[in-house]
Amino acid sequence: MHGTIFILRDCNADQFLGTNRRIIRASGLRDRILRMNDDKALMLAIQEGDSKAYESAVRQHIKALSHYAYRMLGNSKDTEDVTQEALLRLWTHANSWRADKASVSTWLHRITHNLCIDYLRKDKSNITGELNDELESKERPANVPEQDERLDALKNALEHLPERQRSAIILSHYQGFSNKEIAQVMDISVDALESILARARRGLRTQLSDLQAS
Amino acid sequence: MTELERFEQLTAIHGSDITRWPMDEQAPARELLSHSAAAQALHNEQQALDTLLDAITIPPMPAMEKRIVRNLATASRSSLLDRVLDWIVPRGGNVSSWAWRPALVACLPLMCGIYMANFYSFGIESTENSWQEELYLISMNDYAEISE
Repeated sequence: MHGTIFILRDCNADQFLGTNRRIIRASGLRDRILRMNDDKALMLAIQEGDSKAYESAVRQHIKALSHYAYRMLGNSKDTEDVTQEALLRLWTHANSWRADKASVSTWLHRITHNLCIDYLRKDKSNITGELNDELESKERPANVPEQDERLDALKNALEHLPERQRSAIILSHYQGFSNKEIAQVMDISVDALESILARARRGLRTQLSDLQAS
Repeated sequence: MTELERFEQLTAIHGSDITRWPMDEQAPARELLSHSAAAQALHNEQQALDTLLDAITIPPMPAMEKRIVRNLATASRSSLLDRVLDWIVPRGGNVSSWAWRPALVACLPLMCGIYMANFYSFGIESTENSWQEELYLISMNDYAEISE
């Protein structure tokens, strides 16, 4: 047993899992590996039909995915549908995840992003409108009306940004992804993404300065 | 491209948080920011946007999250048949396992048939009984010859 743990420390997870699946199953090392919170180990377990590993992955990613969907769609009903569908695909399409291509989080965000785009294109009229009512401002001071006005203007500007620009801003500013990861989520090149990000920020700043001028 | 133009480009792409900029750009950007009023103005403008973006939060949705976790937990718990199938052919995602699965499933009734035929005699006596019966018949035959 000590020897096995030594192996686990001294080789990478992929090599270990590739050659020692039987040992892992037999000795209960799977639990140990799951606690390592490693993408590969978790996805391997899910691919083998381990529902506990799946539930753990759902808990790990649900908040980030639902927040992304909510910022993209602006209403709770579609957010719930999209998040649930994306996480269901984690179970049904686990085999299509490739460790060398993207992290599980990036992969799930890509699924969510595609679902959001489908929703936005399917029924554009239902999507906008709620965003302004439901998005809350954090610690908004009651006695600064100018700040309120700027915040409302920004929410409105965000809501009316083209899909790709909104998605790029959300993934960069709120979800904290690197430009390379965002490019993977959106399936575009990093150069194209940087151009989209610059246009999005310029658009938002223009809206805010227009408000200030008026 | 001048230093200031590059700085403007980077703030436009990455925002005001210099720690999120490419590593090799961070030190020159900080240097420029420390002495250039134009760079400071650009940075302040982007910082104002970032502060406003930070102020937009979304309401907590614990009920929705619970609902999704519950629904997905139900979906992932497989039926007895699925577990039997997974035991026969572990989910590996390779083509051979998918090709073997229907073949093995198709063999299940055949295996059941063989087991049932082996378990139930369906009117056929066991070999032990047949042997006893044969001895009895032979003895009958001998008795008939003596009586003649």
